[in-house]
Order: sequence, then structure tokens, then C-alpha cells
Amino acid sequence: MNVNKLKENSVFIISLLLTLIFIVWGIFFTDLLTKVTDTIYNASIDYLGWVYIGATLFFVIFSIYLLFSKYGHIRLGKSTDRPDFNTASWLAMLFGAGMGIGIVYWSVAEPVTHYTTPPYGEGYTIDAANTAMKYTFFHWGLHPWAIYTVIGLALALCQYNKKLPAAISSVFYPILKDKIYGPIGKTIDILSVFATVFGIATSLGLGALQVTAGMHSIFGAPNTLPVQLIVIVVATVIFLISINTGLEKGIQYLSNAAMIISFAILLLILIVGPTLTIIKVFFNTSGLYINDFVQMSLRMRPFGEGEWIASWTLFYWAWWIAWAPFVGMFIARISRGRTVKEFVIGVLIVPTLGTCIWMSIFGGSALDMVVDSGNHELATYIKDNVSLAIFTFFDHLPLSSVLSIMGFALVAIYYVTVADTSTFVLGMLSEGGTLNPSNKIKMTWGIIQSAVAAVLLISGGLEVLQTASIAAAFPFAIIMIFMCYSLLKGLQSELIVQPINKSHRTVVRKTMPSSFKNI
Amino acid sequence: MKLYQVRKGQIVYFQNELHKVYSVKPMYRKSVHLMKLRDLSQHLSSAAEIDKYQPKELDSFIFNKNIYTLSKDRKAEEGDYILITHPNPDYLDHYSLNEIEVVASAESKGVVTSKSNGVKHNEYLLMVPGRHEHSNPIEYRDIQNIDDSSLNDLSNFNADMLPSIGDVYRSNDKDESIEAMVIAIQGNSVFLGGNLELALEELMNIEKWEFLYNLLDQ
Repeated sequence: MNVNKLKENSVFIISLLLTLIFIVWGIFFTDLLTKVTDTIYNASIDYLGWVYIGATLFFVIFSIYLLFSKYGHIRLGKSTDRPDFNTASWLAMLFGAGMGIGIVYWSVAEPVTHYTTPPYGEGYTIDAANTAMKYTFFHWGLHPWAIYTVIGLALALCQYNKKLPAAISSVFYPILKDKIYGPIGKTIDILSVFATVFGIATSLGLGALQVTAGMHSIFGAPNTLPVQLIVIVVATVIFLISINTGLEKGIQYLSNAAMIISFAILLLILIVGPTLTIIKVFFNTSGLYINDFVQMSLRMRPFGEGEWIASWTLFYWAWWIAWAPFVGMFIARISRGRTVKEFVIGVLIVPTLGTCIWMSIFGGSALDMVVDSGNHELATYIKDNVSLAIFTFFDHLPLSSVLSIMGFALVAIYYVTVADTSTFVLGMLSEGGTLNPSNKIKMTWGIIQSAVAAVLLISGGLEVLQTASIAAAFPFAIIMIFMCYSLLKGLQSELIVQPINKSHRTVVRKTMPSSFKNI
Repeated sequence: MKLYQVRKGQIVYFQNELHKVYSVKPMYRKSVHLMKLRDLSQHLSSAAEIDKYQPKELDSFIFNKNIYTLSKDRKAEEGDYILITHPNPDYLDHYSLNEIEVVASAESKGVVTSKSNGVKHNEYLLMVPGRHEHSNPIEYRDIQNIDDSSLNDLSNFNADMLPSIGDVYRSNDKDESIEAMVIAIQGNSVFLGGNLELALEELMNIEKWEFLYNLLDQ
């Protein structure tokens, strides 16, 4: 009986043990953890870098191939299924999935930091500013969304077409068949949980840094590690209460509020900021991004220091991969009834455009401040105080106090919503894809991911957060490469039941009319 | 009712019959769009013409030409209809008050519906087919003037939903792909091309077979 229960919960228990070992190690052997993460960091540059670089570019090529392939007409679900959400809502939700603490944290800090320390060439120059924007587009553009396209499509296909549980191991049914329920499947699920915990912990760490910075900027609170840890504790208590008291709906309202505040800030900056420069930045950087796409995607430094690539490009690719199960689950859930072609256009192209517009507005305005006015001190200050970047940027704009308060509210809301929703996804992943994860397991993951974020901050802040992501996401990057093959096999088998010519037929449904979809 | 009190999903009485609000369009003269639960037909009304009702345990009503009684006594199983009365949707769920969903699979902590929603057992009332002897019929607000026969004289199957000659069905078996056409119907047996003979109930099981189209509609 107990053995059966252990077997049933093996994914949860093993992944929990792994993360607990990490937490204990981080608390009691902080120096050793820092040393090990440094070693991994250096090894990642030398040995793992090419895997991340190659894999993410492959995901982009694979996604574009799917867009134009013979599988484009295949519907996610039954051939009679139609989308649950209209296209506008669906696209808004997709864009919302990619938004979060990260985009607020880095949208000013990244372009300005690249401007001071570019990947190549001289810093503090016009060329450096163009390169900074180009690399910001690169890190937030097609690559992350291609990662989400692959995992989202694979999850949707296995859930809606193959009627399998919503677990990462289910994606491998076309290759492994019933072995997904055995040790191989469990290992895949454990690795996906492990990667997700670190991906989310990284975001929570960044969130804690930024919430503290916001409190420092607005209320004059000290911007120190103890305050950052207090922020993590308070946020943890808030979402634990929400899990236990059925206030989940409140979290959904918060999530919607965050989207509204995001767009309000975006519009405000577009109006009060250098509008014409922003438009020019968007067009110019789009051109540079398209032109240098392949070179940037494959850029490594075989004959020099690869530190810039490791601390930026590799960190981002690892972070996106670590986030993939979390975002992929959400994207799959809202995409039932879409065709593969619609899915790829919606997940790959539209959000990429959205994030590029966001980066043009924030990054373009920030660079305009430091480049046009030759304000090198401001650029250096932003580079040295990354978590304060967005608030420093707001201080130099009209309506600065309004923007700062809105920005602070946005980060605080994103923090709580990500922490809350990730507990649900982690519960799902560790309970074999159930859509009803138990509150105990959700609460356990809530505490664990907060503890991991705290340990990473204690061990060395941002650098350790980045390094841990690169290490934890690596096994999952390998899993995702195999996922592409499995997805292809799944689509091939679906081609038999959804041949191309049938997509042009008018289907008369013997089900409820679509107007009654929501009864 | 006042328009600001009307919400999508509410169960209401309109012209003495039980309806569900499926859309509220404040700018329209007929701003409340309803669906009659009895036969799923659509109706337009205004807020002043409707009265709210919140279904409770042991209420019985007609939904899509079938009679159901709301029960809390047993947990839902695969194929059952549920009425969501205490919605508490999780992060990936999309459902709200008074939605009627079909159970795709039952788990210990809750059910998963055909729309991939995870609904916990305390969030719904089970719609048990038939009218329980102690139930409270709610399909009419003023039941006094309603003829008794119209309350129970309902076919158990909606004729539109039954298979007919020329229907093409697909098997939902993930290991074996079968697509075949209905070529004959004899009583409760349905004959498909490829020498397949099935019981009517088996073909109507949406988990096993999926209707694709009718050859005559092409």
C-alpha cells in the first residue's frame, strides 16, 4: 500500500528531495555552493554553450518548418473542435504569458548595460547603442517564443489529440509508448520539475531584487539582502493564504490588472517619452535583427573570452528553457481548436512583435536619455544598479512618481501571480499531469521555490541566479531536442486521421452549436 | 432585475421558463441574450423581463430535452453532466458559475471535464438523469398552470443527435485509426462500413467515437 503510494508520488518525492538537498547545501555550505556554481558557470561557457546555442536556433528553424509544412492544417483536438477563445483574446493571453517580472526587470537595464559593455566594439558609442538594441531584440525575440512553440504544441497535441495526461512525459508517447508511465517517463517529469523550480526561482529572485529596489526608490526603504528576504517571505505568505482560502479568483483579477497596468505604462512612456526616437528605434533595430539573425544566433568566441555570451545569451536561453514547461502548459491550455499553422503564427510571430515593441519603447527611451544627452554617468549608474534601473529611468521622465508607483505595483503583482500560478503547474507536473493537484503539494512547492530563490540570493544574488538556471535547465534542453522528434512523429500519425483534403470540407457538427459553447 | 445585476452564466426565469444568460450586451435594446435550458434555443430579452434563480440540491429541470435532478450524494463519473455551483478555478481552468460540463475522467480529488477543466468535488452538483421523487421541479416558475404531461413526456435522446445513414465516424482509439460510415441501422445496432457492428450506446459514446460529417452534407 505504502510502496504503491511512494511509486505514485515518486516524481514529487524525488524532485522535492533534489531541491531540498540544494537548499540545505545553500544554507549550510554557502561558500561551497558559490564555488560550485562558479565552476559550473565556467564549464557552461566552455562545454555547454554550443548545446544551448545550437538547440535554440534549431527550435526556431523547426517552428518555421512546421508553419509551412504539410502538418499546418492539423487541428489541436478533434477535427470538429473550434477555438475556446477568439483570436484577439488568445493573442493577448499569449503575449501575457511571455510578460512578467523579466521583461520589466530587463527592458531598461539590458539595452543600457549592452551600451556600456557591448558584445563587441567600443562602449558608449552610437554603434554600441544600435548593437545594444539589436541584442535585446535577439534575446527577447524569436528564440524564446520558438522554445514555447515547440513545447506548447507538443503538450497540446498529446493532451487533445492523443488524450494523454498533461505531463511532460506524455509528449514522448509517440516514441516511448507506454514506457512514459515507467521510470523513463518519471525521469523526464523529474527533470522538467527541477528545471521549472529553478526557472521560477530565478524570476522570483529577480522580482525580490526589484520589489526591494522599488521600495527603496519610492519609500526610502533600505535596498539590502535582509529586506529582499522579507519580501520573499511576505509574498510566500500571501500566496499560501490564497491557495488555502479559495482566493484564487483574486489572483486571476490581479493577473488581469497587471496586463492593464503594463499597457498603461507602455502608452504613458510612448506619449511622454521620445516618441519619434522610439519609432525609429523599432524600425532600425528590426532591420538589424533580421539582417544579423543567423550571425547572432550562432555567435560564439572560440578564440577569446566568452563571458559576455555566457552571462547574457546562454543565461537567457537557459532561463527560457527552464520556463518552458510553465509557459508551455498555459499556451497548450488556451490553444485547443487551433490549427498547427494558426498556433505557430500566434505563438512565434505575434508575441515576438509584441516584445520587440515593448523593448523599443523602454530600451529606446532609456538609450535616448544616455546617448543623446551624453549622460555616461547615468548609463554607468544603471549598469551598476541593475535592479534599480527601471526606477532610475522613470525618475528622468515626466510623471515620474506616477510611473514609479505603477511600475512598483506591476512588479509586486507579477511577483505574487507568478509565485501562485507556478505552484499549480509544479503540482500538475509532479502529480502525473493531474488537473486537480492537491493543496498540500501546491503549498509545498510554494515554500520550496521561495526557499530556492532565497538561497540563490544569499549565495550571491543575480550572478548565482543566472548560473543556477544555466545548470538546471541543461538536462531539459536535451529533453526538448528529443521532444521535436516526438512531436514530428505525433503529427505524422495525426496526418492519417486528419488528411489535408478534409480541412476544406464543411463539417456539420453533431455536437452542441458553437454559440452554446459556454453553457 | 436591473441590467447591472445581470451576469453571464446566471440561471434566470424568462416567460415562466428556465433560461441561462450566455451574453450581456449593454448597448442593445434587447441586452440579455438567453438560452432556454429545455431545448437550448436562443432568446433575446431585457433585464426587466428576467428573474434570477440559483439552483440547489434536489432541484430537477430539463436540459437539452432530458430531465436531470441535482445531487450531492455521489461523486461524478465519466460521462456524467455536472453543474458548477461553487466555482474556484485554478490557474489553467476556464469555467464560471452555472456552467454545465461533461466529465471526461474522474479522479480522487475532483473531475476533469471534456473542456480540460479540473473541477474539485466540492465545486459542482451532479446532474442525475431522471426526476427524483422528492425533487423540486424548477423548469417553470409558475408550475400550477403547466400540463403534467409536458413535464415528463420527453424522449431520452435528442433525435438530431442520433446516427443516421451516411454519417462518418472516427474511432478515438489512439493506437488504431478507424474511420467508417453508417450503412444500416437496425433497432439498437448500427452497422458501419468495414464490417463493423456496434451498439447505439457505444457509437454515441464521445470518448470512443467522434462524429465527423454526413456524406450527404458534403
